[in-house]
This record gives sequence, structure tokens and C-alpha cells, in this order.
Amino acid sequence: MQVTLKIFRYNPEKDSAPHYETYTLEAEPTDRVLDLLEKVKSYHDGTLAFRRSCAHGVCGSDAMRINGVNRLACKVLVKDLGTTNITIEPLLGLKVVKDLIVDMEPFFENYRKVLPYFINDEPPPPDGRERLQTPEERERFDDTTKCILCGVCTTSCPTFWADGQYFGPAAIVNAHRFIFDSRDRGAQQRLEILAQDSGVFRCRTAFSCTEACPREIQITKAIAEVKRAILTGRLD
Amino acid sequence: MSGPSTAFKGYIKYRGYGHVAFLLHRLTGLGTLLFLLIHIIDTSFVYFWPEGYMHAIALYRSTPFMIGEIFLVFSVIYHGVNGLRIIYFDMFRPDLWERETGKRSVIWTLIISIVLWLPAALIMVRNILVHH
Repeated sequence: MQVTLKIFRYNPEKDSAPHYETYTLEAEPTDRVLDLLEKVKSYHDGTLAFRRSCAHGVCGSDAMRINGVNRLACKVLVKDLGTTNITIEPLLGLKVVKDLIVDMEPFFENYRKVLPYFINDEPPPPDGRERLQTPEERERFDDTTKCILCGVCTTSCPTFWADGQYFGPAAIVNAHRFIFDSRDRGAQQRLEILAQDSGVFRCRTAFSCTEACPREIQITKAIAEVKRAILTGRLD
Repeated sequence: MSGPSTAFKGYIKYRGYGHVAFLLHRLTGLGTLLFLLIHIIDTSFVYFWPEGYMHAIALYRSTPFMIGEIFLVFSVIYHGVNGLRIIYFDMFRPDLWERETGKRSVIWTLIISIVLWLPAALIMVRNILVHH
């Protein structure tokens, strides 16, 4: 089958403004969008810039907007798009470095603000081994351990588009992962950070983050749980 | 980069069930707010400028404004129903913010809003046809 790719192009060193370029190429229905980008780069235009690493939906490097929705290019098959006209654009809300590559630093800056690491200064158990928890306690935050920090959720969020100071869904998901971990002791600290102006209450429940997440994390639910923990002070 | 122009671009170009519900909520909210502001101003004319008030009332009875009122009723109903959905999910049942339930709830909100709106819309259309 023949597909038409319309790709956002912008080289700040040469272009005065972004533009779109169209490429027509042969593709299999089972090709991934990432395969098509590789074909364009290899056979049509070597200057096309995009990120990719594992190409199997684990590293989260190839996040981009495909036909108006944030996706990982390595997880979208041509046949699942329902059209042969494919528009590919960079993630919204982050500065374009070149073509489909965006500057992820503001995203990671927000991530770091929520203390996304294990906090517990208590002495380890007497046997010197790991801090145990029940399967139920582990299950409580299982969903939010799956985040790969691809940025798909945060850059699908209308609040983040308008204000980059908003921590965004990915940061909140990673805070959730530790807030509800029975071994962690930093929940109160994180909840205070997330109760700030740029925290969870900026979420407008647009739900785009949950729809877009390539790991199928129930992000809006996690955000609602953090909101509730702030309001009630309970971590159940 | 984040900012009003990025947000506007996203509003227009992004796709998805949640995004449509969010956009409709914003538009219907802003539409209702706009009407409310105009209405407060023209009602205040009763004290400050009675002729202006009579003129505003005559304007409300014109066909374009009556058609606008049909959409106003939809705006109020949709904004209310969707608002209740969000409050219920967010405050009482966070577990319903789940991918499939979320999508279905967006569709059901639209269906309920249209069902509630249709009788009022039919009466209003009939009034337009009878009076004009």
C-alpha cells in the first residue's frame, strides 16, 4: 500500500519558520510509524531528525503527535491508523530543537520537583535485609511504577500547553508511585509540594493523558487519588 | 513552548474523547458566562437607561437571538451534566477514571445532555416559527 506522510520540519539554524514536508512511500499495513520515519530518513531525506532508541515501546524516546494524538511511533501500526494520510508533528508544549525533537528539560525539571525517589531515614530492619511489604501494599502503587517518562501524557495536557510551570501528569504519576509506597516516609513532603499552585489542582480532568499513555497507566485516577490524599490527609 | 498560542493550537489540533469533552466544557462555560455578562449589563439598563433596556428586550426577540438561546440552553445543560460527571468521578469514584469507563462516560454525558436539551429546543424552535 502507498502512504502519504506529512511531517513537521523545522531547523532553527536554517528555517525562519516551521513548515510541513510530504513524502509518499510504499508501506506494509503492519509497518510501524517508526519504520516509515526510518524509510524517509534512509531513502528520501537524511536531514530528518527524530529520537528513537529501543524501538519496542520501552525507552519512550520516540514520543510524537501522530494524526493529532500523542503516541510512541514504535507502537503504532499503519493499519491501526485507519487512513493512509499520516501527519506527524512534535510534542506540544516543549520547544522544538529540530524537526520532531523537542527539548525535554522542562519536563524533567518538573519531574525532579516532586522528589521522585525513595525517602526513608529510619534504620533498616534488624536482619539488615530489605524492608518488607505485603502483596496488597505493593499492589497499591503498582500501576504508577510502569511510567517510562516518555512525556506523552504531560504534552497531551491542555493545562501544560498553557502553563509549563504545571508539574504535569508524568510528575504526579511518579510522585504517586512513592506517596502510596508503605516503605516510603516522604509522602507528606510530596503532598505539600503537589498542593502548591502548580500542583495537582491545576488538573482539569481532560483525560487526554490517560487516553494517550502507551503503558496504559490510569493517570487521571492516580491524580484524583493524590488530590484526595491532600484533601483528607489519608493514604488509603 | 507552553503559552496561550500553544494552548490554542492544541485545542484546535489535538484529538481524543477526553479532549472533546474538555473543549465542549470550556466553550459551553465561556458561552454561558458571556451571555450572563451581557444579561447583567442589559438588566442594569432598567435603572440607568430604560430605553436601552427596551431595545435590548426587542433584540432578544429577534430570530438570530432566539436561535442563539437554543444553543445557550444546550450550553447550560452540557456544562452542568459534564460538571456533575467530573465532580462525581473526581471526588467520589476515582476508580471510574479508567480508560474505557472514561470514554463511555464522555459519550453518555453527550447523550444525556442532548436528550435533556431536545424538548426545550423543540419548544423554542416552535416559538420561533409561530412568532416569526
